[in-house]
Amino acid sequence: MTPMDRRTFLRRAGIVAAGSAAVGLGAGAAIPGLLRRLDRPWDDDAFPPPGRPKVLVARVASYDVDLETTVEEGLREVGASLAGRSVLLKPNFVEYDPETVINTDPRLVAATVLAVRRLGASSVLVAEGPGHRRDTPFVVSASGLGERLGEVGARFVDLNLAPVTRVPLHARFTELGELWLPAPVVDADVVISMPKMKTHHWAGATLSMKNCFGCVPGRIYGWPKNVLHWAGLQEAIVDVASAVRPELQIVDGIVGMEGNGPIDGTPVQAGVLVFGTDPVATDSTAAVVMGLDPAGIWHVSEAGRFLGQADPEQIVQVGEDPERSMTSFDVLPVFEDLKTGPDGGGDAGAHVGLGDANA
Amino acid sequence: MLWPGPGGADTPPVRSLYERSAETLDRARTGDAFGPTPGAEPEPEPTALAAIALDDDAARRWLTDAQRPDGSFGLTAGPVENDAPTGLAALALPPGDERERALDHLVATPARTLPPDPVVPHDPNVPGWGWALGTAGWVEPTSRALLAFRRLRPGATTQIDGAVGFLADRECVGGGWNFGNRSVYYVDLPPFGQTTAAGLIGLHALASGYGLVLGGVDALRRLWPVERGPLTLAMSLAAFRLLGLSDADEVETALERTLDGPAPDVIALAWIALASGPGLSELAVPP
Repeated sequence: MTPMDRRTFLRRAGIVAAGSAAVGLGAGAAIPGLLRRLDRPWDDDAFPPPGRPKVLVARVASYDVDLETTVEEGLREVGASLAGRSVLLKPNFVEYDPETVINTDPRLVAATVLAVRRLGASSVLVAEGPGHRRDTPFVVSASGLGERLGEVGARFVDLNLAPVTRVPLHARFTELGELWLPAPVVDADVVISMPKMKTHHWAGATLSMKNCFGCVPGRIYGWPKNVLHWAGLQEAIVDVASAVRPELQIVDGIVGMEGNGPIDGTPVQAGVLVFGTDPVATDSTAAVVMGLDPAGIWHVSEAGRFLGQADPEQIVQVGEDPERSMTSFDVLPVFEDLKTGPDGGGDAGAHVGLGDANA
Repeated sequence: MLWPGPGGADTPPVRSLYERSAETLDRARTGDAFGPTPGAEPEPEPTALAAIALDDDAARRWLTDAQRPDGSFGLTAGPVENDAPTGLAALALPPGDERERALDHLVATPARTLPPDPVVPHDPNVPGWGWALGTAGWVEPTSRALLAFRRLRPGATTQIDGAVGFLADRECVGGGWNFGNRSVYYVDLPPFGQTTAAGLIGLHALASGYGLVLGGVDALRRLWPVERGPLTLAMSLAAFRLLGLSDADEVETALERTLDGPAPDVIALAWIALASGPGLSELAVPP
């Protein structure tokens, strides 16, 4: 997908309602059943053809390498255009548990702040709306993110509390029809989705598209963001990602999570970062790296019909071969059919035996 | 001398946690009411909390004007009707029709339930209350509804018993609560400090909740020292004070240090003022 001025796109497509506004206080219908079944539940005009996006799989052995340079080069390789643009980094801090690896590593987030500045961004902020915790300052502090952001002088915004803007949905896999998204997300020129590479016990995998759930404010949609689950989880992933439209993606697979993710899985050393400019292409590639069939992950497959490129023949891999970089992630039995390894695939990484996350 | 030290003639008087938090909270208002962050558009949850904490009639008037025709308070986002502040708003309002209509709304709108599911075990007979209409029940909104009924409509025994049953059903192994799932995919999930405090605030001094309170207090004593976010500490202080436990003193000291840093968001700030000040009596239920 060609990089575009995100704010211009939103305005041109009529996505942003006139001005930011308080959330309405008037009465309305309760949620009747927020699942829509249409053949093509999206507005074609709002989603240009995806073309041939670049994706880069980079082997990165640990968080102790020069991540700033790695990220800068990775973003350059996929064609990121950040000069003079405001950037919002959206890592995954859905909650914090010191016993496991739920979160995008704070060292990677801080390195990305510096790399984005090197690439000429006019501003950069880091933002998240934790889905399981209301006490965001605790999550930021305990996870070490606050300290790392302090070292690089970056500001953090709690998306659960930020002012919101009404965003009509141009994808309608659910019947939500609109989302009320934080103004910092809507106003940023570029959103960079920075998920942790994890399996997900409802969705198969959680990558750059699912990570956009953290942009949905809890003070409206609750903790956890249960409205999205009632609307249809996989369908909501597509609708929310279509509204947020992260222009860039950096998937933290240096250490990922397998098994009963996204919270109670097991750390796995996959040793990769995945960079991209198209969330569907990036997530498809990351799934391959995890030893999963992207065509079997419903939200990736459906988003590949309009939001981005899911055809592997059309995705230009400018880094390592994803299949040769594969670490076969364990999945719950319900997702066993997604696996392309370990029987058939490679297994380049090492499973980290840190024990039961809840022990 | 810039800093004469303790006891020096120029040392400013030590102000109480309540005075400091109330002053900061008052500066964060937007007109008559309060948004989630200083100066933001007013919303029902921070306004209800601040109205109680500051005993603020202007905030109460704003709340009255913000009440929906169905008696609820909250935020509307397209088809999503968040009504989770309704219990708090009822507690903030003076006696009268508005308060009764808020309670009527809670009576009429328990959460939706799902069939029994071994992957996410729960009792579908105790729905609790949700964050948004038409969705599942969760710990914090259920605790708010429980407290509102116990203080303002103690004859609503069906609702009170139902809320206690919900909290019993969602209690984590070892006591306390997270947002509301005790187990997912055969893994027991741990409790969180903030939501454990929320459960204790709803259950304090309730005989039928005694066992839950014991487990919750044990959990909170483990959790608050490591979960030192402002909202967790403030709600922990409220819970310990409502339970008459001396743990409150240590939490209050931790909160004093929190106020030395950047100002918390308005919801946390309002909870600090509420928990440390006279407004807490508006949440107390006699045994």
